[in-house]
Amino acid sequence: MATSKRNVNFGNRSVSSDNREGIKAWLNPFGYGWERVSYWLQRLTGLFLLVYFVGHVFETSSIIGGPDVWNSMLQLTQTLMGHLFLILVIGTSTFHSANGIRLIFTHLGKGLGKPGRPDYPYLASSLNYRQKSGIWVALILAALAMLFGVQVLFGKG
Amino acid sequence: MNLRESQIMKIHYLTGVCALFVVAVHIIMRLIVPFSTSLTYENVIGNYHNIPYAVLLEIILILIAIHGFNGLRIILLELRQNRIWEKCVSYAIIIASIAVIAYGTRTIIFANGLEL
Repeated sequence: MATSKRNVNFGNRSVSSDNREGIKAWLNPFGYGWERVSYWLQRLTGLFLLVYFVGHVFETSSIIGGPDVWNSMLQLTQTLMGHLFLILVIGTSTFHSANGIRLIFTHLGKGLGKPGRPDYPYLASSLNYRQKSGIWVALILAALAMLFGVQVLFGKG
Repeated sequence: MNLRESQIMKIHYLTGVCALFVVAVHIIMRLIVPFSTSLTYENVIGNYHNIPYAVLLEIILILIAIHGFNGLRIILLELRQNRIWEKCVSYAIIIASIAVIAYGTRTIIFANGLEL
C-alpha cells in the first residue's frame, strides 16, 4: 500500500503525516522533563559504549602481533586524551548500568506508584520522585566513578 | 526461530545484568596490580593463559555483543517501522554481532597459545 507523506503542524512543530519525526524528535531533550533526558542519555551512552566495545575488541587484538605491536597500540591510549576518553567510558558505563537497573525495575512495574484519577494538572503518577531520584542516583554514581577513574589514571602507582 | 519482542527484552535485561558482574571482575583484574603494570605485554599474555579468565573474557564478549547490538537494533526500530527495515536491521545486527564475537574469540584463542 502506497503511503503519501505530507507535513502536519502541531504548534511550532512540523510532523510528517505518518506521525514520525525521526531522529530530530529522538535528539530533542526539551519539553519532556528529566525522564526524557534519561531516555536520551541511556541511548547516547549505549551507542557510545557499543562503539568503544568494538574499538576495544579491535585494540586488544594487537596483542597477537607481539610485544612491539602491543606497545605501539598502548602508546596511543596512554596519553592525556586517551585517559580522558577512558574516564568518559567509566562515567557513561556507570550511568548506563545504574539507569538500566532503574529501567528494569520500571518495566517490572516497581516504583511506578498506584494509578489514580487523572486530575488537573494531569501529572503522570508514574513520573514520580522515585523515578527522578533514580536518575539522580545514576548521575551521581557516574560522577563518583569518574572521580575514581581520575584517581587511578592520573594518580601515582 | 522467531522470538517475541518481550522475550528479546528479557534477553536484553539478562545480558545487561550479567555483563555488569563479569565486567566488574574484568576491571578488578586490572586494579589488583598497579594500573601501569597491569597492561604490560607479559601481564596481559599471562591473563590470557589463565583459562578461567580467558573463559570470562569470552563470556564478556558474547554478553556485551548481544546486549550492545540488540540495543542498537531497538534504537533503529524506534526511528522507523516497516517490515523490510525491521528485517534488514535484524539481519545486519545478527551478522555484526557474530563478526565481533568471532574476531574477539580469535584474539582470545591466539593470545592463549602465545609463548612468553
